[in-house]
Amino acid sequence: MGSETLLNENAIKSPAVKAWKEKGGKAIGTICCHVPEELIDAAGMLPVRLRGTGCTDDSEAEAWMSPFSCSFARAQFEYLLNGTYDFLNGIATSDGCLLAGRIHDNWKYAGKEKIEKEGFMLSMTSTPRIVESRHTMGYYKEELEALKADLERVSGEKITDEKLKASARKYNETRALIREMYELRKAPQPAISGTEALELTLAAMSMEKGEFNKKIRAFIGEAKNRKPPAAPRVRLMIIGSAIDDPAFLKIIEDKGGLVVTDVQCFGSRYLWEPVAIDDSDVMGSLAKSYLERPVCPRILDIHDELYKLYMDMVKDYAVDGVIYVRMKYCEIWGGESLLFESKFKEAGIPLLTLEREEIMTNEGQLAVRVEAFIEMIEKEDR
Amino acid sequence: MANLMQELARLSDDIYEHIEKKNPQILFMFDVQRLYWNNTLNAHAEGKKLVYVGAGAPCELLWAFPNIWPFLLDMFPTRLGSDPERASKYIDIAEKYVAPTMCAIDKVDLGAVFSGDLPDTPDAFIWSSVPCDNSRSAYPAIEGYFQDRGARGLKVDIPFRKDERSFRYIAEQYKDLIPQLEEIAGQKLDRDYFKEVMAISNETAGYMAKIADLRKLKPCPLPGRLLVLNEMIPAMAGHPAMRDFVKTQYELGKMLVDMGMTATKAQPEVFRVSWLQNMLWSNVGTLDWLEKQYGATVVMDAFGYQKTPLFTNPDDIDTVLFNLAQKTLALPMIHGASGPIEDYANLVENVMEDYAVDVSMFVGHVGCKHTWAAAKVIKDMVMEKFGLPTLTIDVDAVDGRYKTTEEIRGIIGEYMDNIVEQKEKGNYPPKKA
Ligand code: SF4
Repeated sequence: MGSETLLNENAIKSPAVKAWKEKGGKAIGTICCHVPEELIDAAGMLPVRLRGTGCTDDSEAEAWMSPFSCSFARAQFEYLLNGTYDFLNGIATSDGCLLAGRIHDNWKYAGKEKIEKEGFMLSMTSTPRIVESRHTMGYYKEELEALKADLERVSGEKITDEKLKASARKYNETRALIREMYELRKAPQPAISGTEALELTLAAMSMEKGEFNKKIRAFIGEAKNRKPPAAPRVRLMIIGSAIDDPAFLKIIEDKGGLVVTDVQCFGSRYLWEPVAIDDSDVMGSLAKSYLERPVCPRILDIHDELYKLYMDMVKDYAVDGVIYVRMKYCEIWGGESLLFESKFKEAGIPLLTLEREEIMTNEGQLAVRVEAFIEMIEKEDR
Repeated sequence: MANLMQELARLSDDIYEHIEKKNPQILFMFDVQRLYWNNTLNAHAEGKKLVYVGAGAPCELLWAFPNIWPFLLDMFPTRLGSDPERASKYIDIAEKYVAPTMCAIDKVDLGAVFSGDLPDTPDAFIWSSVPCDNSRSAYPAIEGYFQDRGARGLKVDIPFRKDERSFRYIAEQYKDLIPQLEEIAGQKLDRDYFKEVMAISNETAGYMAKIADLRKLKPCPLPGRLLVLNEMIPAMAGHPAMRDFVKTQYELGKMLVDMGMTATKAQPEVFRVSWLQNMLWSNVGTLDWLEKQYGATVVMDAFGYQKTPLFTNPDDIDTVLFNLAQKTLALPMIHGASGPIEDYANLVENVMEDYAVDVSMFVGHVGCKHTWAAAKVIKDMVMEKFGLPTLTIDVDAVDGRYKTTEEIRGIIGEYMDNIVEQKEKGNYPPKKA
């Protein structure tokens, strides 16, 4: 499989999704990072991470969620309302933030007919926010058991430990391959751009992972043989709220900054840390692996681990500057700067803060700010 | 350097003295506030451990330690809402660190802490993962700030749903808090003393229920502005001063009812209004204005609405902790909007039903995005079940700079004028769908 094939798979209703549905397969949308896709896969269904990529009008969703809600959540809801996600047989949400919860909540009303007449699944996983408590894992495990029961109902398949273990193995392979792809970006002249890398992880989010693994392996093989482009002007890391829009990264990269890595939920935070399955407690170990990942500041006692991750990324990927992107009205990430800004300053890491809306209207301004940031880094380096 | 706690204690003394001279019959409203601010200020001087708490901390359990004085951090924003100069000072400080879209309640909390205007570092900060994404962003930073200065940080995870399993999960964590509180207090939990605290808390809840029943009467005997202190009640439930405050409030209301009178400015009461979101601390006068101008009394708001569960078996610690967990999930901001939308919708439905509301207003605090994101469902429900339209207006409950008094009253006034006109024509309230 060629790289182009995989890069074409990042549309919401990608060729892979269409093929899956044509085969009569069921698909389950997921919202936020604490719905283990392994469970959906083990039920023989296709997990599809919900996103708002390419949304140009969210007025219907705004009527439901108000202009004061985050536009990423609104765009996802718009796509539910306008039928873009009509191919789904259900949605599994984890309460990553309150607005994620509101997509689920509002859909109970807006999608009432689908739920009642078509048996559309709507499942909410209440995910603990404090990892250090000894009661947390048990609670989350019970939530995952409830999700499992919902998935079994809609799929008609029993999710056995064996199936779950097989899915975990397959997903761990995906994780390893995504990391291998990121590894290539550590090169002084990386052959993969940040935009391309995001397109790949987006593709992964709506593709059966066995198929994705084959394709990304081929992609990596090809990328290794690419003629390295000229060295980038500066190497950048993106951190912050969800970025599901390659066009946003393209604006940054068109200005000469190469995005070499990221800490955001549609990039490295999607599938990275391997899941460690314990045969004696398969669900419990799945819960532990998912909860202990430094995925985003919605986990309240993981800030130090997140900060360590930023710093490791800066070192490993030879990052010259960090762009912190916060989605307007995303308070989970909106306050995170308080915890890292002064530390970055002390460590001499240049930082640019950008506010993003899912529907981009300020490309020009964004480009100007990025350009100025790049020049600032270059001047400091001289 | 400024000392915010000292300033607020002095201010509460001044207000108290002023009211004592001018309006002694409402002095009880200021008594409890004066006590709260002064005792917080003097906690260390009196040999107590000062413990700051965020929403969701089990207050009665803290009051059970005579050696601990708990202070609810959100008392700053709700108090400073009516003090625009101080409120904006702390909001501006917070905005140097966090996104300006953060709820002003949390911005004031953050700004007050990071300003350095609280030189008396608490011994501990106890917080939880509710009510919202704003507090989840502010509290860890506040905890870090205090920990750097030697305080202990303790936190509790509060889940999304309000069911038996959630209560048990919270209760287990509260159980783990006890030995830690004992360490902070330097004293063992005295179960008999705790029982006394629970008895006071139950009494307080009893008066709250009676006050709620009074507010259901027509005309409502108690003014809208008395709803303003509602956040303070659970924070001090278990302390005799709060029981006395609600007792007096009830007795006053009862007396008025017996005399066929009302303390509101709605003479006569023409409309019964519900506010479906936060209290407008930055512009409480608007409640008086509504009463005076339109005979429209805010009989209940979705923020302050409280149906507090009681301690059912003070002898059994597991039941006590379970009840504490139930009480946490029934707190303002947590009981409605912090979980599934149905909880919020049910709460609003109860308010509309129980208080015989005929004017519905979603006076939406801009920082509270998740309540806004539920507004359509709530307003549709109000229309469907009660046949009432809902005025929607965005305000900042704490930062008075967001909209001026004129702007707020302009919008509400236009809506009310229209209702008055419709009422005169016999078209309001509309026929139920
Ligand atoms: S008003 Fe809303 S946004 Fe503000 S602290 Fe309370 S729940 Fe959070």
